[in-house]
Parts: sequence; structure tokens; C-alpha cells
Amino acid sequence: MDENKKSSGRNVIETEITMGPVHPAALEPYRVRLFVEDEIVKDAEITVGVNHRGIERIMEGLPVEKANSLTEKICGICSNVHIWNSVMVAEKGLEIEIPERASYIRVIMGELERLHSHLLYLAHGNEVLGHETFAMRIFYIRETVMELLRMIGGNRVQYGVSIIGGVRPRCELDEMRIQKIKEGMDFIEEKVAEFADRFVSDPMIMSRITGVCPIPKKEALRLAVSGPSLRATGVDMDLRRDMECYDPFDFDVITLEGGDVKANLLMRVLEIPESIKIIRQAIKNLPGGPITDRTWEMQDTGVIKSYVEAARGRLYHSYRLEEGRVRGSIVRTPSMSNIGAMQYACIGHHITDAQLGIVQCDPCFTCTDRAIQIIKL
Amino acid sequence: MSLKSYSRARAVHVMLVYTGGCNGCDIEIVNSILSPKYDAEQYKIFLTWNPREADVLVVTGPVTKFNEEPLKKIYNAIPEPKAVIAAGACALMGGVYKNIHGDIPSEEIMGPVDKIIPVDARVPGCAVRPEDVLSGAVAALPKLLEAK
Repeated sequence: MDENKKSSGRNVIETEITMGPVHPAALEPYRVRLFVEDEIVKDAEITVGVNHRGIERIMEGLPVEKANSLTEKICGICSNVHIWNSVMVAEKGLEIEIPERASYIRVIMGELERLHSHLLYLAHGNEVLGHETFAMRIFYIRETVMELLRMIGGNRVQYGVSIIGGVRPRCELDEMRIQKIKEGMDFIEEKVAEFADRFVSDPMIMSRITGVCPIPKKEALRLAVSGPSLRATGVDMDLRRDMECYDPFDFDVITLEGGDVKANLLMRVLEIPESIKIIRQAIKNLPGGPITDRTWEMQDTGVIKSYVEAARGRLYHSYRLEEGRVRGSIVRTPSMSNIGAMQYACIGHHITDAQLGIVQCDPCFTCTDRAIQIIKL
Repeated sequence: MSLKSYSRARAVHVMLVYTGGCNGCDIEIVNSILSPKYDAEQYKIFLTWNPREADVLVVTGPVTKFNEEPLKKIYNAIPEPKAVIAAGACALMGGVYKNIHGDIPSEEIMGPVDKIIPVDARVPGCAVRPEDVLSGAVAALPKLLEAK
């Protein structure tokens, strides 16, 4: 009798499950350690640093134009917002007023990039859920955005739109391009609405994602989560309202409650129409005039800081200018602060939900791997 | 010939390894193989994440310090015959990360890829275009046949 009790009693051993840096479930190289008891995750640890390239050190001492185009190479998903913010740092320091038309074109590019990033998130999320059909459908919608980006910037991924004083002459929007953007927006709006209908009315998917890996509002604020992942927990925060270039546009900041996988996925679905709304307004009211102001002069500046709202959260760039060269560059990307949320989301849930918990915060570890010190042992 | 080897002989499995680039090339490669527009799967080119199943290894990125050993391990785990495609400017010559200061060697970047493992096909571009990825995959296929 006693022996039976012993064998049925709780005799749980904590097991460590390690994935990475190269693992089938992870597209990007990172390392996850899950400490598991009875298939429940007790603790999680995410380590980045595998693809450290030292971009900020390479930027040190480069001419500012060259350094700006290098910031675009920090990330292949949100490349435009990096160069946009880096150029804005120089413009703040040198007190350059950019033409209104250039500001509109930058906003159009920024929102197109948000569309493609959100669609990529939805596709990746559905793939992790195991619903490959939806993932393929979304990749099909995303292809329209990529074609528009290629049409304006000349490249599908790194388009280098912003330069100091405006936008590159190649990115001028003529009648034909505006017409194509209009058609693209109609297509995306229709297809995303169709997708959203089918996604929400699918009971299998809804039961899989509802209440999985929630992040409460208080914890999200404590962990300094940013971007759509923060808005999905119910905090009304969007840096686009504070950015000057977004002043002429009318858009809603959407917040949802819960912060679970469902709220995060729906957050992106609901933000897509808002981005389309901004692009439509920008095309409709696109002012005339030049797109580049080349009358500025280089001078030395103090440390300049700039924040923008990237697709994944708030992005920070800062440097100072010395004889036209960049000194002391600092970049802080959204995924850096969202890593805490990823770890928090996994804890207390079943191990099969761990990958969803990480993916729900829209990780981009390539962005994050820059300023990590390599310690020689 | 068993059923498995029969079907394996008629399909090409591509494994994507990411060694520290900017993510742009990777998404374009996944896009060119999976997505409905380019859809290399219709030519029986499949994406796999298991090196023991793979025939073709696609490497992107400039190979950072921590990725050198895993890359060699993955290359050795792939059974013969195998082919390697280096995709993107970083994989070909180190990209902006290696050459920005001219000839000063970078401590973080161990690439380009052909210093570490033999490369059979090269796909240029920053980031690579899906059309180029498909033609690069086609260029690497004869390597798989001749080794038999």
C-alpha cells in the first residue's frame, strides 16, 4: 500500500528542453531554454547574440550619408523605418525642414512596410499554428505589397527611400504609380477582410488561440513591451500620434484586451485597415513641389535622439555629428524589450504553447543582435 | 528500390541556414519556395529543416563567429550527394558588414561562406530576388546528379 502511494505520488523532475541556435521551429537563430515540469513550462530563457555583427561599431566614424544607408541593413523586415529614423536624427540635429511632399512619401512607405510586416506576422503565426493554407493565402496578399515596394523603391527588401533632406528622386510618385497603389490598396483591403471573416469564424483556430499565453496589462508595462503587443494588452500607446509627419492624417489607435495569442493576431488584422486608411489619405492629398531639399549645410551637433513607431514597437536611434561623421551611435530596437514578454508569456503554460508564446510578440532577433559585448573566456 | 527512396529520388529538399544576415534574404527564399506566386514546390523543390533529409543547403548571411561551427556541423550532417548555394551579397563576399572598412578584418565576421564550406552555386543580390533564387537552385541541380 505504501509503495503504491509512493509511485502515484508527485515525483516530478524538472527537465530542461533546449532549442537552437539553428532549429526547425525557429526561422531566426536564437536559443531558448525551457525548464519543464510535467509538460508545464516553469521558466524560460531566450538568449540572442548568435548573429552579432557589430553594426554600431561599423557606423562609428562613417560619413553620415553612408551610416544612414548602413542602418537599413540592421533588419530586412523593417529596413525602411531604420533609415527613416536615422535620417530624422540628422535632420533634427542640422535643423532641416523637409518638403511636405517628401514627408507624405515617407509616410506612404512607412505604412506599406507596416502592412508587409503585419502580413508576414500573420503568415508566420498561422504557420506555427499549423494552418498552412491561411499562411499561403496571406503570402499571396503580401506579394501585392512587395510589388508596390519594388515599384517605388526599386528593390523588394532594402529600398533606401529616405535621404537627408527628403526622399531619393527615384521614389517620386507619378500618376501611374499612384494608380497602382490605389488598386493595390483595394485588393489588400478586400482580401484581408475575407481572411478575417474566415479566421474569426473558424472554431478550431479560435479554441486553439483563445486564452493562450496571456500577458496582463500590469506585467506588460513592467516589462516595457512596446508596439502592437502592448496595445493588445489594453494600453493605449502609439508613437505615431506624437510624430510630426503623421499630423495631417486621421487614424484610430486600436486597443484590445487580454494580450493572449488571439488578441495579438487580431491586433494585426485590425491595424491593416488603419494603415490602408493612412495611405489612401496620403495619396489623395499628396502635395506638389520638390521632394528633396539640398540646401542644408553640415555642422557639428550634440547627441541627438529620435523615436519612431516601427511595425513592432518603438525604435530609438541616436548619434552625434562630428565633421560630418557619425559618433557614438546607439540603436534600440523593439524586440529588445519584447524579449521579456516572450519569456513571461511561456511560463505556466503547456510546452506546446511555448512556440506560440514566443511568436505572438513578433520577434525579430536580427534587429536585436547588435550591441552585445563578446566576452573572451 | 523502396518507396521512400523512389520518391526521394524525384524531389529536391532545400535546407535554409541563416548565419547572421539581416533576415531579408531568408524571407525572400522562403517566399520563393513556399509562396503561391513563385511556388518552387510545383517543381518538387521542398523546404526542410532537417539536415539529414536535405539535398541542397542554402546559406545566407556573412557567417558570424558563433555560427561557424554550427554551419560546419550542418554541412557534415547532409548526406551525399549534396550541393551548396550561397545566397545574397553577405554570403558571397561578406556584404556591408565585412568590407565597410576596406581590408581591415572584422572580428565578428568569419565569412564569406566559401571560406568555410565548398560552394557550388552563387546567387547575387541585396536582398536576393525570388527569380534569382529559383535560377540558382536550378544551377545547383546538376551537381546532385553527377555525384551519383
